[in-house]
Amino acid sequence: MKKFLPFLRRGVQGLSFAFLLYLVLRTAFPLESSIPVDLYLRLDPFIATISALAKKEMILRMLPAFGVLLAVIVFGNFFCGWFCPMGASLDFFDRLLFRNRRGEKPSDDASLRRLRYGVFLFSLVAGLMAFQVMYLLDPISLITRTLVIVFYPPSVFIYNALLPEIQKLFPEAPYFLSTLRQPLFKVNLLIFLFFVAILALGFLRKRFWCRYLCPLGTLLSIASRLRIVRRSVTAECTHCGKCVRDCPVGAIPEKRPEHYRRQDCIQCFTCLACPPKAVSFALKRPTWKGSPELGVDLSRRYVLGSLCLGGFSALMIKTNPLQTESGMRNNRLIRPPGALPEEAFVSVCTGCGECLKVCPNNALQSTLLEAGLAGLYTPRLVPRIGYCEEFCNFCGRVCPTEAIRPITIEEKRLLQMGVAHINKTRCIAWDTDKICLVCNEQCSYHAIVGDEKKRPIVKEDRCTGCGICENKCPVEGEAAIVVYSSGIQKKLKPEPENNNPSGS
Amino acid sequence: MKGIKNKGLDRRTFIKGATGLTFASILGESLPPYGTLVHASSEADLAIAKGGSPAQLLEGAMAPLGGMGRFVKKGQRVVIKANIAWARTPDQACTNNPDLLFALVKMCYEAGAKKVAVWDHTCDNYQFCFTRSGLKEAGQKAGADVLSGHGRNVYKRVEIPRAKKLKTAEVLRDVLEADVFINFPIPKQHFATELTLGMKNLIGIVWDMEQLHKIDLHQCIADINTLRKPDLVVVDAIRILTTNGPKGPGKTEDRGEVICSTDIVAADAYSASFFKNPRTGKPFRPEEVRFVKHAYDLGLGQIDLSKVRMKVNAA
Repeated sequence: MKKFLPFLRRGVQGLSFAFLLYLVLRTAFPLESSIPVDLYLRLDPFIATISALAKKEMILRMLPAFGVLLAVIVFGNFFCGWFCPMGASLDFFDRLLFRNRRGEKPSDDASLRRLRYGVFLFSLVAGLMAFQVMYLLDPISLITRTLVIVFYPPSVFIYNALLPEIQKLFPEAPYFLSTLRQPLFKVNLLIFLFFVAILALGFLRKRFWCRYLCPLGTLLSIASRLRIVRRSVTAECTHCGKCVRDCPVGAIPEKRPEHYRRQDCIQCFTCLACPPKAVSFALKRPTWKGSPELGVDLSRRYVLGSLCLGGFSALMIKTNPLQTESGMRNNRLIRPPGALPEEAFVSVCTGCGECLKVCPNNALQSTLLEAGLAGLYTPRLVPRIGYCEEFCNFCGRVCPTEAIRPITIEEKRLLQMGVAHINKTRCIAWDTDKICLVCNEQCSYHAIVGDEKKRPIVKEDRCTGCGICENKCPVEGEAAIVVYSSGIQKKLKPEPENNNPSGS
Repeated sequence: MKGIKNKGLDRRTFIKGATGLTFASILGESLPPYGTLVHASSEADLAIAKGGSPAQLLEGAMAPLGGMGRFVKKGQRVVIKANIAWARTPDQACTNNPDLLFALVKMCYEAGAKKVAVWDHTCDNYQFCFTRSGLKEAGQKAGADVLSGHGRNVYKRVEIPRAKKLKTAEVLRDVLEADVFINFPIPKQHFATELTLGMKNLIGIVWDMEQLHKIDLHQCIADINTLRKPDLVVVDAIRILTTNGPKGPGKTEDRGEVICSTDIVAADAYSASFFKNPRTGKPFRPEEVRFVKHAYDLGLGQIDLSKVRMKVNAA
């Protein structure tokens, strides 16, 4: 049994990652999966806690996450070592890239060990005040975002490029396979570099990210202190140091391998491969007490310092002109249909990228600085890339924290995200005598009418800001009809002539 | 040397073939397109069926033309350009009638088609168009491939030698290469071009459709139709959209008609009369729809219905 444990764990990790991949791929039309496609995010206790605190109400979708937290409290932190897809990727790349570095001397890392607690406190304070740094560091959100924004578009590119070759295998059905729409995401390079940086940290230490930075890991560590599954070492221990070297999170102190840092252990059971078979895990009575020298050195000064730094950073952001609150609102910042009001939206959106993946028209893009520093990687509608499909409410259905509310199609069709404006000096119909009216033809809500000379006019009380007009406008470069944000999304009046789906 | 037979082209065969082809193409211009023998079995070039189920209507409109067997031969690939452009439901009459598509595909298979492909380059997202219109389900139920032109790899850039303005375009390869091409439009009111008819339906085989608006939409519609003459036009006028076209929803009218023709200009000239011209208050005359006029000027068909052999089958 002990022999197979490492393989079993790798197998479970692989399956867990594959399952996440499957769910990400299923996050697409027609969205009829019986398992919620944002399952992993819904099981993340860190996101659940923070978004509930930020929203100041319980998010029902996120309730399963507290089940995970409870299980961790009772049984210990089994999540990071077995199920976390980020941890699985880190383990994989550590083995793949940095194998030769094995046999390193585990150095004293007490000062590094408290780093993640500092990061945790910093991001907690900063996040609850303004700056969502914590969501950027949450591993589940991070890996989902990376898969969607960094790895999905190139995969589609390769598939489309290989398609003619695959098609040749089916000569009797020449159009058997269709190309996939090539997704495009603006911030892909940045997110890729961030991911590469995290992998590169594995050069310094195995699972560097998990040990010293991950906020979810920190939360689970604190929670798992009362665990009932605990490690014990018999007197047969020869101090050979194998477990010390092999432990992926460095939870076993070099000088005293018969002890371990209980809060850091991820229950991977790697240390069971002990030459004299001195190590075992058993159920024990829960206790809060641990040996003081194995804990984290969280001095009062350190805690206060982290809190102050977080608070001060949040204040810096609040007083930065890039921040939307300071009045310099970006009128091209169109939020997805059903998004919470801006301030609540940026504090609840985890930037996981689920909505970006599910959007059938690639209309949603991650922001860089368009929404201010606080709104980094939140979704916005960019009509020139894609428009908001009329009979689609997918983004609200996949948002784990309900930053985009799950709304019905009927509600969505009457929701105004923005209003289109015509630039008459660029519009073909206004500027020349040609008949164009692509915008009128494409508008789903009869919000663009033509005058007697067949020139388009926008009816603002019908326009939802879906952006199909801007998207399809045949003018080169910037469209001649542009959607501007309407600030707070508002409900339009249903009229039989425009927004009534059944027509008259 | 004598014993060695050149398997390639020798001079004699080439000259024979070239002469034959030259004469064939010269004669072909003046001859009716399907040869006199087949033509004799058809009573009309434009047949209208009124009243009945979609399948009956199609049957009624196809019979005077000589049946589907005249157009589709055994083992051929058939391409149907349907109108699935919008994510609308069948009752809103912005897209084809699914039952009629089903009957049409069935009929092609009964005539011996090897494969029927239903194409459209949709305006709304194709997945929503295909499901909401019910056309993907109907087409697949009848055994057809229902295909979308959302990927650029299914297009081919071609010269359009007879065109006046649209000299080159990227069009669906399958439409150009298939053995049989059926244009399957639904007539609709259209704010920009007055009407959407059979020829306007062919805009949906072009990759960058919106760009045509920049050139001259009416002329482009006529130009794109010079590329491949449809072997058959089946106009779905069971229910038509009379306001808020082409996307709707708007007012609809149940006409209960199916028009089959070998002449796309004649088919459009006939279906134009379903709609009232807002300027004159009377039904549209064919010349009042500019792209129909342009197509006639390009010699694509007959605009004067009195010169077309017509037959009405009313149930």
